[in-house]
Amino acid sequence: MDRRHLLRLGGAMSVLGVGAPFAMQLAAAGSAAGQSMSDYKALVCVFLFGGNDAHNMVLATDTDSWGRYFATRNTGSDPIALMPVGTSPTPIGQTSGITGRVAAANTPEAWGGVLPITPKTPQAIPAGTNASVRTFALHPFLSPMQSLYNQGRLAVLANVGTLIQPTSKVQYQSRSVPLPTSLFSHNDQQSTWQALSTEGARTGWGGRFADLMAGMNGGNTLFTAISTAGNAVFLSGQSIVQYQLSTGAQPAVVITGQQGNSLFGSTLAPSRVRDLITDINFTNNFSADYSTVVARSISASTTVSAAFTQGIVTGIAAAPAYTNPISMQIETNSLALQLQTVARMIAAAPGLGVRRQVFFVSLGGWDTHDFQNNTQPNLLAKVAHAFSYFDGALSNVGGLDRRAQVTTFTASDFSRTITTNGDGTDHAWGGHHFIMGGAVKGQDIYGQYPTIGPDIGGFNNPDNISGYQIPTTSVDQYGATLGRWFGASEPELDIIFPRLAGFQSRNLGFL
Amino acid sequence: MIARCLTVLAVVALTACSGARGTGGGSSAPPSAAEASRFLTQATFGPTDASISAVRSSGYSQWLDEQMTAPQSSTHQEDLTARLAVIRSLNPAGTLQPGDVYWSFWKHAATDQDQLRERMKLALSEIFVISLTDTNVRELGTGSYYDMLGANAFGNFRTLLEQVTLHPMMGVYLTWLGNQKEDPVTGRNPDENYAREVMQLMTIGLVQLNQDGTARTDNLGRPLPSYTTDDIAGLAKVFTGYSYYSPNPTNTTFAGRNLPADATTRSMIPYPTFHSLSAKTFLGVSIPASPTSNPSGDLKIALDTLFNHPNVGPFISRQLIQRLVTSNPSPAYISRVAGVFNNNGRGVRGDMSAVVRAILLDTEARTLAITANAGKVREPLLRMSNWMRAFGAASDTGEWRIGSTSANTSLGQTALTSPSVFNFFRPGYSPPNTRVGNAGLVAPELQIVDEVTVAGYLNTMQTTIDVGIGATTNGLRDVRANYASEIAVANDANTLVDRVNLLLMSGQMSSNLRSRIVESVNAVAIPATGPQTTALTNRAKLAIYMTMASPEYLVQR
Repeated sequence: MDRRHLLRLGGAMSVLGVGAPFAMQLAAAGSAAGQSMSDYKALVCVFLFGGNDAHNMVLATDTDSWGRYFATRNTGSDPIALMPVGTSPTPIGQTSGITGRVAAANTPEAWGGVLPITPKTPQAIPAGTNASVRTFALHPFLSPMQSLYNQGRLAVLANVGTLIQPTSKVQYQSRSVPLPTSLFSHNDQQSTWQALSTEGARTGWGGRFADLMAGMNGGNTLFTAISTAGNAVFLSGQSIVQYQLSTGAQPAVVITGQQGNSLFGSTLAPSRVRDLITDINFTNNFSADYSTVVARSISASTTVSAAFTQGIVTGIAAAPAYTNPISMQIETNSLALQLQTVARMIAAAPGLGVRRQVFFVSLGGWDTHDFQNNTQPNLLAKVAHAFSYFDGALSNVGGLDRRAQVTTFTASDFSRTITTNGDGTDHAWGGHHFIMGGAVKGQDIYGQYPTIGPDIGGFNNPDNISGYQIPTTSVDQYGATLGRWFGASEPELDIIFPRLAGFQSRNLGFL
Repeated sequence: MIARCLTVLAVVALTACSGARGTGGGSSAPPSAAEASRFLTQATFGPTDASISAVRSSGYSQWLDEQMTAPQSSTHQEDLTARLAVIRSLNPAGTLQPGDVYWSFWKHAATDQDQLRERMKLALSEIFVISLTDTNVRELGTGSYYDMLGANAFGNFRTLLEQVTLHPMMGVYLTWLGNQKEDPVTGRNPDENYAREVMQLMTIGLVQLNQDGTARTDNLGRPLPSYTTDDIAGLAKVFTGYSYYSPNPTNTTFAGRNLPADATTRSMIPYPTFHSLSAKTFLGVSIPASPTSNPSGDLKIALDTLFNHPNVGPFISRQLIQRLVTSNPSPAYISRVAGVFNNNGRGVRGDMSAVVRAILLDTEARTLAITANAGKVREPLLRMSNWMRAFGAASDTGEWRIGSTSANTSLGQTALTSPSVFNFFRPGYSPPNTRVGNAGLVAPELQIVDEVTVAGYLNTMQTTIDVGIGATTNGLRDVRANYASEIAVANDANTLVDRVNLLLMSGQMSSNLRSRIVESVNAVAIPATGPQTTALTNRAKLAIYMTMASPEYLVQR
């Protein structure tokens, strides 16, 4: 039974709840507010649209792995190989002792060596890697991530991707196991990461978690699944629909034509406008679907606008200015801006009586087929800047440290080929990801970091085909580990992730 | 001629659809004003008094002939070249900005006489996507690219595909400009970006299609893929060894340096040294390894292979129908149009003029369906252009100085500026937890509809209708409507609403909506004595705003 059925009823009732005056809702939440502060959990999905080249984000630095990495990428018209641990930045215009090339702002020589990180749990040595201890590092522009890692609030999940079942190289090549549909296709792999099937999927695992937990959010179930990045199937549940917040000055944009006493000289018009734009009684389904969103927008905007004026919310400061580490120009970091809005929503949640939330934020531009040296380092630096800011913001929400209640994790279409096409990389498959939060068992690398390098010069990498890594951990395992922390039971996880039972570990252990 | 007769026959044979009413395109009776308005909503950036009259007097078919043979208006490239001269006169180091492209876009969308071509340019730019969000995509080149889509809108698809492929802005956007052959020693592979997306998004799509657009399946009912990763790798080798035009091509110009001024507007040229010599296998075709580099010969084989793939007809026809007419065309409609793509009746494949004609004259386009899932959500750019054209908006400067409207508190959309090559919205987007989605149908434009964008649109229109849009000079917005024709009838709310209904909703307004607007308009009292202009203007603005705010208007049927 039918917890799900009950939840659906709760969802239906909430439509009224959202419209109720904010003061009334505050009163209803009332004394529970203090309690709900300690019983609160949020998952924040940071989606890197375009397919992040994880090979240049988390690197294996043992001699064997690094040698093949460097040889593979230190080639082409604009080589993308990063410099070894401990390398000093080569001043711009001077020649690198490592590559013999003149450094420019947008070449790895100028950035200095990769930043070492040490996992608490030694990584197993995979077949094909000749090392006694595997060592690791982060991109040189991820210094804030290195510090979060060393403080124990950041973990790495290695080589995760979309899978139907565990898959070996031989099985892939002989097609003896089912494979995800439309591998390497952006839109389909985005959908498969978010919703476990290709474009057209109807529910995502974030939305399914929200279905389960929305009953804890009283009358405000609309604020269970929240996006700052437009519509994302990740947040669609069976009954839960996502709610979009603006990162602008007003988190909920008020439709001006339907408020006020008069519109174009007509005192009757505002109420008639409101009637007509929220009318959902149409034969035409497109009209009804559109006005349903408008009705939701109007009813929520009053509540959200009121909630966001509380001191605990306005007390969440904006992120410090972001400087592009290549151009040295100040740029907008849209990810930090979105996470500011998320932090403010988290601060507002107790007042709204909301205790479980799933968020979706995103950063685009990762499809680095060319000019990778210009774009990816800047994007990685934005991620680091935004994560560091978010960690700080959550450390002091009205005087309370909320970091243990919020788990933030990255996802992306796919990773990219270890091989370069001269100045960039192509669509691939498994990649590494970050998980941040006070509940995260940080300073560690989870999953199996694979053997590195393409099959050239007689080398046969058991984890790599044509430049792409076969995932050693599935998105299902990743999602289930997050969902369990969020409050889903084992049977519920099996429903949400029907392929979970086919993988060795149901719990990757990072939470 | 033969194609047109066949179309007419098909229309006559199929007019007896259930759940639909209205006249088919083959009817000899001249279109009513409402029918002409509806047709123009599909075929242009929005009906006007003049265009409604023109369609009524010519009839659909002749109007299409006139539009297809009308000379192309002045080009975006000309606009941008002139604009650059102005910028340089003020600052010798000045450069064009994306906003300069947007000005030119609005000017042509709102005012050009060859409206069908204009409308097709937008539709094609949402299939053959480049985007100014990529700073490597330059403004002058983008104007030239958009001109090129217009020049090929009624030509042959094979030529369109080739000109899209070789345009340097597509080259930089999908990164095949400067793409180099593989290097077996280092393991370097050609960039696969264009090879992948030209198949997935611009020609054949992911799965094999029947002529009616339904997927071909295996014996377990699973869709059959159109291509494999091996096909992509094979095709990627073809797309090597091309870069910017130069009268004296060198390795330096291949790398994008020392270029002539027109490099961003001229087709890319082959650089044989960088082109793959190895065997290239894709889609059942094999180009053998060769000691001699042959970039253009290989490209011809690749584009011919793509063009002749049986998927192209249904794949492109469905998307064009979605852009112009309806989100969920019947398989029979797709099949009729794809049939024309495959053969225009004179044995020619890919005749876009015949395809556009088939789309707009089909009974499913010409019949006003009252079924629950008929039509499509209007995309924000078309709502704005609808207002501009219906009410004769004009630009004080003549430059249509409207910058980006991409913010979700604005229109959430700017031409030629989608977030990725996957356009603003996907042809297969099916919104979860909606009536359309639950019916298993798609609503591409709903992909950019959320709680913020609905408010952004309404607030933007309220301001635009009131004071105009664009850069402000001396307190006046550059682009404004004067509503003279609406003010002239605003004394009578019913007549006013009739007029707005015809121009914006092709006369489809429900009695419920109509009465809400009439009632609100009547609440704007007209002074018995003294100036009445303010009240009459308010009445016009209110009727237009309420119409454009309504969920009925937001769906083009």
